[in-house]
Amino acid sequence: MDGFLFDVKVLELADEQGEFCGKLLAGAGADVLKIEPPGGQATREIGPFYHDQVHPERSLYFWHYNFGKRGITLDIESPPGTDLLKQLIAEADVLIDAQPLGTLEKLGLDWNALQALNPRLIYVVLSPFGHSGPWRDYKANDLVHLALGGQMMCCGYSPTDDGSYDTPPIAPQMWHAYHIAGNQAFIATVGALIGREMTEVGEMIELPIHQAVSVCTEIDVPHWIYGQTPCYRQTGRHAQPAIGPEVQFPTKDGRYSIILPNPFPGGYETLVGFLEGKDKAGDLNEDKYKEPKNRRGRAFTEHFADIQAACVADFDLEEIWHEAQELGIPWSPIRLPEENPDDVQWQTRATFSQVEHPELGESYTYTGAPMLPNECAWRQGPRAPLIGEHNQEVFCEQLGLSVEEMADLQDKGTV
Amino acid sequence: MGVKKRRPLEGVRIADLTWLLAGAGGPRLLASLGAEVIRIEWRDRLDFLRYMPPFASRTRERAEKAGAMDLTGLDTGKVQSVNRGGYFNDINAGKYGISLNMKAPQGRELFKKLVAVSDVVVEAFTAETMQKWGLGYDTLKAIKPDIIYMQQPGWGYKGPYVKYASYGPIAQAVSGLTEQSGLPAPHPPAGWGFSYMDWSGAYYCAMTILMALYYKKRTGKGQYLDCSQVEPGIGMTGTAVLDHAVNGRHYQRTGNRSPYTPAAPHGAYPCAGDDRWIAIAVTSEEEWQAFVRILGNPDWAEQSRFASLAERLQHQDELDRLVSAWTQEQEPFGLQERLQAAGVPAGVCQTAQDRIERDPQLKHLNWLLPLEHTEIGTWPIKDIPFHFANGQVSQGGPTERAAPCYAEDNAYVYKELLGLSQAEIEAFQDEGTI
Repeated sequence: MDGFLFDVKVLELADEQGEFCGKLLAGAGADVLKIEPPGGQATREIGPFYHDQVHPERSLYFWHYNFGKRGITLDIESPPGTDLLKQLIAEADVLIDAQPLGTLEKLGLDWNALQALNPRLIYVVLSPFGHSGPWRDYKANDLVHLALGGQMMCCGYSPTDDGSYDTPPIAPQMWHAYHIAGNQAFIATVGALIGREMTEVGEMIELPIHQAVSVCTEIDVPHWIYGQTPCYRQTGRHAQPAIGPEVQFPTKDGRYSIILPNPFPGGYETLVGFLEGKDKAGDLNEDKYKEPKNRRGRAFTEHFADIQAACVADFDLEEIWHEAQELGIPWSPIRLPEENPDDVQWQTRATFSQVEHPELGESYTYTGAPMLPNECAWRQGPRAPLIGEHNQEVFCEQLGLSVEEMADLQDKGTV
Repeated sequence: MGVKKRRPLEGVRIADLTWLLAGAGGPRLLASLGAEVIRIEWRDRLDFLRYMPPFASRTRERAEKAGAMDLTGLDTGKVQSVNRGGYFNDINAGKYGISLNMKAPQGRELFKKLVAVSDVVVEAFTAETMQKWGLGYDTLKAIKPDIIYMQQPGWGYKGPYVKYASYGPIAQAVSGLTEQSGLPAPHPPAGWGFSYMDWSGAYYCAMTILMALYYKKRTGKGQYLDCSQVEPGIGMTGTAVLDHAVNGRHYQRTGNRSPYTPAAPHGAYPCAGDDRWIAIAVTSEEEWQAFVRILGNPDWAEQSRFASLAERLQHQDELDRLVSAWTQEQEPFGLQERLQAAGVPAGVCQTAQDRIERDPQLKHLNWLLPLEHTEIGTWPIKDIPFHFANGQVSQGGPTERAAPCYAEDNAYVYKELLGLSQAEIEAFQDEGTI
C-alpha cells in the first residue's frame, strides 16, 4: 500500500526541535532526507544508549526520532556544501528548518532566495520563540518550554491541607514541548501541501515553539479569560479552580490505577454495582445515597474516593480493570510505556513493530502507526540512518557527482 | 503582493459529529486551515462543554480585565444559555453549527444529503453507533465514493477493547505518559493536570484527515480511518519502549531533572511570592559559569564538588538546596531576564494569567485572536501557532467567528447547501428533526 504522502520529498535540517515532525512525515510516507553536519547531528548524543555505550550510532533517542528517514552529512556552511544544499532544495517539496535562527540567511538562503530556487517549496521554520519579539534570543529546552507554556503550573501534586504547596510544579517527561510543536508543525505542513495543489506556489510557515506549547493546555486559559479564576494543580487530575475528587489510587502490587467518574446518566450506579460485585461498595448502597443531592459536597467525594481506593488496593494493576471497562466504567491501569507491547489490543492493531538493525544483527520493538487506515500504510522502517549512510545514493546517484568529486568533498570535510 | 490570500483547505467540507476536546479539537484545526466544518448537534445530548464553566459573564468590566485587547459586543441583556460556555467557545471556533436529530430516520436521511456534498465525515461516537444507524463506511461510500470517514472510539475500532471508554486521563495512563510524569518513587506519578491526550487526540485527528485529504487530492481515493486516542500517546513513549527492548530497563521518573542529557542544576526552583517557581536548565560549562556569576559568585559554587558537570550531577541534591535557598529570595520574572541575558536557559513556571496578561512574547505573536460570538460578543480565542506567509490561516476559519450558537447555521446549511425550501425546513423543525 502507498503511504499517504507517497510523492512528497522532505529535507530536514533539524535538532530535537524538528526531528519529531520529520519522523511523522516519514511515517506518513514522505521521503524524508535528514541532512546532518559531518560527524552527525548533536541529537546523537542524547541518551539512553544501546547497552549504555555513549556513541553517535547508539543513541536510542536518535533511533526513535529518526526512524524511517534517510540521512546524509553535509557541511552546508562551506561553499560547495551550500551549493549542494541548493540543488537538493530545488528538488524538494518541504524543507524543515529547526536550526538556530538565521543559519540559512547567512548562506544567502532567505525566503526570497529559497522561492527563487524552488517556487513550490514549503519552508517550515521551528524556533524556540519566533524570529522577532522581546524573547527572540531567549534560550530554552524542553523543561523551560513547559514552564513558560503553562504545562508545569497545571501538573504536579496536590497542595497540603493548608492550601500551600510543598512540591514543585512538574514537567512531564520526555520532550513533550517538541512533541506538541512537531504535531502542530505537521498539521501546518500537510495543510500547506494541500493548499499548494490549488495555488501551485509554495509557502513559508513559522512555528514558534513557545506559542505552540502555550496553546496546549486546557481550562486554565478560559478560566482566566472568562472569570479571572486561577486553577490549582493536583495529583493525577486536572488543575481546577478548586481541589477536586481523587481519581488515582494505589494497587495491591504497588502500582497505580485511575477511575474516572462516568458523566453519563447511570454512570454512578454502574460503578456502585461493580464495587458491590467485588464486595467493596462500603455503605454506598444505603438509601440516602440514591438521591443525587446527597452525593454532593466535599465530604461525600472524599468518602467515595476512599471506597474506590479500598477496592483498587485489593487487586493487582492488571487484574480487574477489564471487567470494569466492559461495563463502561472508565478505569485504566497506569502503565509503564514498555508494558504496552504485550497488550493484545496493540498486537491486534500492530501498534508496535519490529525493526531490524542489520549491522547489529538484531531487531527491536518500536512504536509504530498511530492509526489504522484502510487505503494507505504507515511506514514501518527502516531504522534511523547511520551517519552519512545515504551520501553515495544522494550525492552520486541523485545529484550526479563523480566518485572523484565525492572523494574530494570527503577529504575537505564537506560531507 | 496584491494577490488575494487563499485558505489552504478552501473547498473542503467536513461533517463534524464529534464533541468534547479530543473529538471536536481536530476539526477546529482543520477550520483554521480553511475547511468548512459543520458541527452537528442535537439538543437532547449536547456537548458537556456547552454546560461547563467558565461562562461568559454578563458584566462588561470583568471581561475587559480578562485580556489585553478591546472586548466589545457583550450583550448584557441575555440570560445564561447553552451558548455561553467559554471553553466550548474556544474549542469550536471557526465552525458552522447545525441541529440535527441523528436518532430520527428523517434526520439520518438529511445527514446523507450532507454526506453527498462533503469530503470528510468525522465522528467520536461509541464504536457501533454509525453502523447501528445504517451509516457505516459502506453506506457513506455509496453516497460519496471518495468520502474520507474517520472513526475514533477511544481504544480504536479494530481489537478486543472496541467498547472501552477513553478520556484524556485514561489515554495518558495506559500509554505510559502518566507514569513518566512526577517525582521519583516513592512519590506516586503526578500525571497530567490537563487532558494532554485530548489535545493530542485532536492533533492526530487533524493530522490523519489531512494526510487522507492529500492522498485524495493526488489519487482521487477516499478512505476509512480507524483512530484511537491511546495510540498517539504510545507513539510519544518510543524512547522508553526502546530502552526496555534494547537494555531491559524499566522507566523511572526523575522529577524535573534531565534524564538523558546530563544537566545540573535542572529543575523548578522556588521564587519569592506565593507558589512562584522558575525552571532553570544548566547544561554546558559556559552556562554554569554564567549562572554562578548571576548568583553573585557565592563561595559554595567554588567548591570542588561542583567543579564539573559530573561533580554537579553527583551532588545534585545539595546543589538544588543551595540554588533554592538563593532563588526563593528572587522575584521570578526579573530573575528570568537576568539569567536569559547571561545566556542561561530559564523560564518562570507561568500561570494562565501570566501568559494572558504579562508574557510579552505571546502578545507579540498575537496568540489570542479576538473573535466574535453571536450571543456573547467578542472574546479572545487561542489562535493556531503556525504563521503562514501566503495562505490565509487563522482560528476564525471560513466563518471568521468564534464557536457557533446551537443551530446557528441551519439556514445556511439546509437552505443554501442542501437546497431545502423554507416550508421543508419548518416541517423538519416541527417534527423535531432539526
